[in-house]
Amino acid sequence: MSGVHDVGGKPGYGVIEREANEPPFHHEWELRVFALNRTLLAAGVYNLDEFRRAVERLPEEVYERASYYERWLLAIEELLRKKSALKALP
Amino acid sequence: MSARFVVGDRVTAPGLDGSGHTRLPGYLRDRRGIVIALRGSVPLADDRAEGAASPRIEALYTVAFEGRDVWGDACEPGVSVHADLWDSYLEKTT
Repeated sequence: MSGVHDVGGKPGYGVIEREANEPPFHHEWELRVFALNRTLLAAGVYNLDEFRRAVERLPEEVYERASYYERWLLAIEELLRKKSALKALP
Repeated sequence: MSARFVVGDRVTAPGLDGSGHTRLPGYLRDRRGIVIALRGSVPLADDRAEGAASPRIEALYTVAFEGRDVWGDACEPGVSVHADLWDSYLEKTT
C-alpha cells in the first residue's frame, strides 16, 4: 500500500519547480534540524531507516502541509517521544 | 542468506501490502527489470525501520528498468531507472 510520501509518477503534482542557486537551507532553523538529526543518528538514538519511516508515518494532511525540514522535525519529535528520550523540564 | 539472482536475471517486484517501510517505490511495483549489479549482503531497511535488534541480512541488487516500461510514452526514450532492491523484494520473471 502506497503511503502519502510515495509520490513518484503520481499525477496531479504538477511540474517540479527548481529554484536557481538554491541554498542548502532556507532558514537557520532548518540547519539546526539537519544538525540535530545527524547528532541523534550518530548517537544511535534511532537509525536512518527508523527516521525515514517516521517521516512516512506522518498523518497525510500533516505531511502535505509541511515543508521538507518541517517533516524532519516532526519525525524527530515523534521518534524521541517513542523512545522516551525526552524529559519535561521542571 | 544466499543470493537468488545473478546479473542478467529478469525480475519483478510485486511489493507487499501493508503499511510497513519499504525501499520499493510505488512506481516500480510489478514492473519488469534486469539485475545489473550485485551489491553484497545488506541489512533489510524494512526491519531496521522497526528498530529490529537483528534485521534480516539479504543480498542487495541494482535492478534496471526501462523508463517507457514504467511510465509509458510519457517518458522519453532511452531513460533507464536504477533501483537498489533486496532479494526478498524480487521474483524471477520472463
